[in-house]
Amino acid sequence: MDTLKKNGITTLLFMLSFLMLTGVTNAQEKSIVFEMDQLSLQIDEETEITAKVVDSDGNVLPDTVMFFSGNRRSLIVSQLGRVKAIKPGSYSIIAITLGENRVRKVLPVMVEFPPVTSVQFTTKPENVYAGTSFPLHFEVKDAAGAIRENVDVMVSSSDKDVISINQFNDLRASKKGTVTLTAKAEDITVEWKINVKENPTASVSLSYNYEDKAIRTGDVIRFEASALDRRDREVPDAPINYTFISSPDDNLGQGASAQMEQDGRFVANHPGKYTVMARSGNMVAETSFRVDKRNVQRPIEVVGKGIVPDVKTSDLWVWEGVDGRDYAVTGTWGARGEAFFWDVTDPTNIHTIDTVQVDARTVNDVKVSEDGTIAVITREGASDRKNGIIILDVTDPSNVEILSEYNEDLTGGVHNAFIYENHVYAVNNGRKYDIINIEDPRNPRTVSQFELDTPGHAIHDVWIQDGIAYSSNWGDGVIAVDIGSNTSADMPGAGGSPENPVPLGSYTYPSGWNHAAFPFKSKSTGDFYIAAGDEAFPYGLDRQGPNRAAGWVHFVKFDGWDNPKEVARYQVPEAGSHNYWIEDDIMYAAFYNGGLRIVDISGELMGDLYQQGREIGMFLPTDKDAAIPNAPFTWGPMPYKGLIYLSDWNSGIWAVRVGEDPTAGTN
Amino acid sequence: MKKASSIFLISFALLCNMNGFTQEYYLYVAAESEDQVHLVHFDAETGKGKIAKTIDVGRYPTEIDGPHGISVSPDGEYWYVSIAHGNPYGMLAKYKTGTDELVATTDLGMFPATMEISEQTGLLYVVNFNLHGEMKPSTVSVVEPESMFRLTDIETGIMPHGSRISPSGKHQYHVSMMTDELIEVNTTSMEVSRRLKLSESESMGGMDHSSMDHSAMNHGDMKHKPVEKPTWADPHPTKPFVYVAGNGSDELIEINTETWEITRRFETGKAPYNLEVSPDGKLVVVSYKGEGSTGVWDIESGKELAKIANTRRVSHGVTISPDSKYAFISVEGIGGEPGSVDIINLETNTLVDHVETGKQAGGIYFWKQVN
Repeated sequence: MDTLKKNGITTLLFMLSFLMLTGVTNAQEKSIVFEMDQLSLQIDEETEITAKVVDSDGNVLPDTVMFFSGNRRSLIVSQLGRVKAIKPGSYSIIAITLGENRVRKVLPVMVEFPPVTSVQFTTKPENVYAGTSFPLHFEVKDAAGAIRENVDVMVSSSDKDVISINQFNDLRASKKGTVTLTAKAEDITVEWKINVKENPTASVSLSYNYEDKAIRTGDVIRFEASALDRRDREVPDAPINYTFISSPDDNLGQGASAQMEQDGRFVANHPGKYTVMARSGNMVAETSFRVDKRNVQRPIEVVGKGIVPDVKTSDLWVWEGVDGRDYAVTGTWGARGEAFFWDVTDPTNIHTIDTVQVDARTVNDVKVSEDGTIAVITREGASDRKNGIIILDVTDPSNVEILSEYNEDLTGGVHNAFIYENHVYAVNNGRKYDIINIEDPRNPRTVSQFELDTPGHAIHDVWIQDGIAYSSNWGDGVIAVDIGSNTSADMPGAGGSPENPVPLGSYTYPSGWNHAAFPFKSKSTGDFYIAAGDEAFPYGLDRQGPNRAAGWVHFVKFDGWDNPKEVARYQVPEAGSHNYWIEDDIMYAAFYNGGLRIVDISGELMGDLYQQGREIGMFLPTDKDAAIPNAPFTWGPMPYKGLIYLSDWNSGIWAVRVGEDPTAGTN
Repeated sequence: MKKASSIFLISFALLCNMNGFTQEYYLYVAAESEDQVHLVHFDAETGKGKIAKTIDVGRYPTEIDGPHGISVSPDGEYWYVSIAHGNPYGMLAKYKTGTDELVATTDLGMFPATMEISEQTGLLYVVNFNLHGEMKPSTVSVVEPESMFRLTDIETGIMPHGSRISPSGKHQYHVSMMTDELIEVNTTSMEVSRRLKLSESESMGGMDHSSMDHSAMNHGDMKHKPVEKPTWADPHPTKPFVYVAGNGSDELIEINTETWEITRRFETGKAPYNLEVSPDGKLVVVSYKGEGSTGVWDIESGKELAKIANTRRVSHGVTISPDSKYAFISVEGIGGEPGSVDIINLETNTLVDHVETGKQAGGIYFWKQVN
């Protein structure tokens, strides 16, 4: 190509490019104009919207506008502009044009809540006594029949000298008299005519269940107060208010030192002198007592470790082999699809004895059958995207044999699994668990599945105890399912079986972080709890360096399957919960960057267990030769034969012992 | 990318080439089992590629979220990655090119996979592959990229894959892997306009299904045993053809979009998975997932010009530079192996370099060519 011709083509191409660019930038300015600035609708209301496309001079252009909902479950919008409001809230409609020089515009939409149709006092004692006070509660309903929590209720009193109402809707009766309270929600009002009576209370009695006993931080004390008349007869409907005064031993900026519920329960976080008061009207009773430090801390001693230097370690299981020796298996994360088998008979000399490698990037979970012969490991990230479980013969853990690979309906990945009575419960596809019969471990077969039917449901883990499966389901919380409950079960079953899993109960909490669940019956109180653990990474995760997590363990007390109540938490500041184990009123909890925490959970549980000094010990596993050196990220613990084994994401497997401290108390 | 401002890019690239400028190429590749996206840089002068940047993606740090499909907006300002796994739904994440900062996300369906933006509508069309779900019809989600609102879901076949937009931007093509169909979506009306059976025994030629109501059909109960198991569809940049990878039948299938019938079938290497037609319309480059190699086909003659062994065993995606000189192949690897991007010179049909990536390199998409 000669130079002249080349230059000519060059110039032509430059011009072409220039023309294309300027053609874009000089395109006629145009915009979408709605017929309104915003749209307000009632629930179920339908309407049509229109919009036009205009140029910079306001001339209408022939472009077609299409409409879409920015919130399809709450606001239905057809492409032609037909709109129907489904749920209250603030939404948007997007209008776009197609073709060249596309433009778009967003129309704000407000779907109003239905009007309030009723308001009722739900706190309405038969007798209101002068000198007493109590909070008022209401039930507000709207035209759709929904109970509304987001409506302000204003209460007024016809005689403020008799009854006054503060800004929190607390009622205070000052003297005898008749008064009418009017509660107003939007335009709806309701009245309550009250005849305030003279208060017969002449005194208040106060007792508690720890009188003459040593009280430690974390002990839940139950106070019982009664209003008594002049003849010492109980006035059963006289309101009682509890409060306390604290004088903590450490008063140099100490935080909240105790917690008191209005049912009379009290728990101290810090040692010191406390005075609890019970008041009814103008009558007060009080008692003072001392709370001592719980004094359960003990040293934690490292017994042994098996450092995994090049990949991250996931779950572990420790068991006694059929030969009487002790073994452990650990999984690996984001690596080569390996599970490591360890001889831990001498925990000071933990060493690998075999490795199983499968087509996976993560072997997240490992479990061994009660008789120590069968193990199951889970697969994620298979190269053919057909994940599932691997069933292993671990009769000889030095020569582990793959018995079968099973991926029927599990291809989306199995994250966690549990072996129970010849069945594997395999959490898969992030949505369900399959129940797989492994009586013939070379020929596993799925016998049933359990899956929620809530919108967008998900699942993370399952744990089985006494024939009841406790699954952890992120936003759907903990679900208990009878898969063959037996007489040892702490709670009643419902005739379920592996072939016919039957839901029993559940508990959900707002964060949606539910990642693990561990059921236990308190040895000291007989109460049944599910410890529901979070997993959260609000700070992200650096796979090449130290990390920190968030979340805590929620203690949910069940008085029957239909009556769960979250009563306490264990939260380590600046760290986050992962897996944990509870045995004999002690919780062994992995808290990622917070390491291993051993916690006394004896007695009734209430409030912030961390603040109460219930921590028996902590251990931060770090090693300079670890995959991530010198940084803990503890995955899960397992108590075994007097030791605590733990896996650490950054470093491998550890064995530690709770040491003796002659000055420590007992839990 | 090859449809994105293609005339301008081709003319610009040609211009640069004629003046002897050094060409540098940038593309994004997703490492599905590493939860990372790499920006790959290839310098044509030195013939060397490298990872220019690695971006962590995903939602749950301790689980493999699986970035699968990737795409770049036609103006090159943003890149998009589909995250296959979630709780339970996958999502679409939008990043700014250059800074690679996360801009926004939106939830999609089950195992969202490949996607592309139509220059006609400005909307993004992503298939919900539903790889691990029930054998029932899935959807193509339509997302407005600016707001990242998911506008609608178009019901399509079982395990849809390979979302690519026609040069006009008026049609999106994908395949239904488990019903052996090529499916055409009208990007404006957001409806399936045509379906074509790819099985030799079941092909219905030019039958137009656009007026048929498929909503009442329970595709999940259909006793169709897939043969072709198509996994990818890519329209020709200038001619009325779509090329389909017959992953199950080891075929490259050519469909005439005017007559809506299969015009040619070519026997390929084992398990062709992804493919792309070169921007100059002369070649189609096909990854052979089953044998770890890449085939370069001359469209006019229908001949395989070369079969090039890949550097790993599981060949995955294909993207071609706007000047049609280089093909970039993502290769997954197995287990703990790293993935790779193989760089093939399409003038010599040789592997000129490869770049090691995170595990299971999959979705791959060209970003820009600079001098």
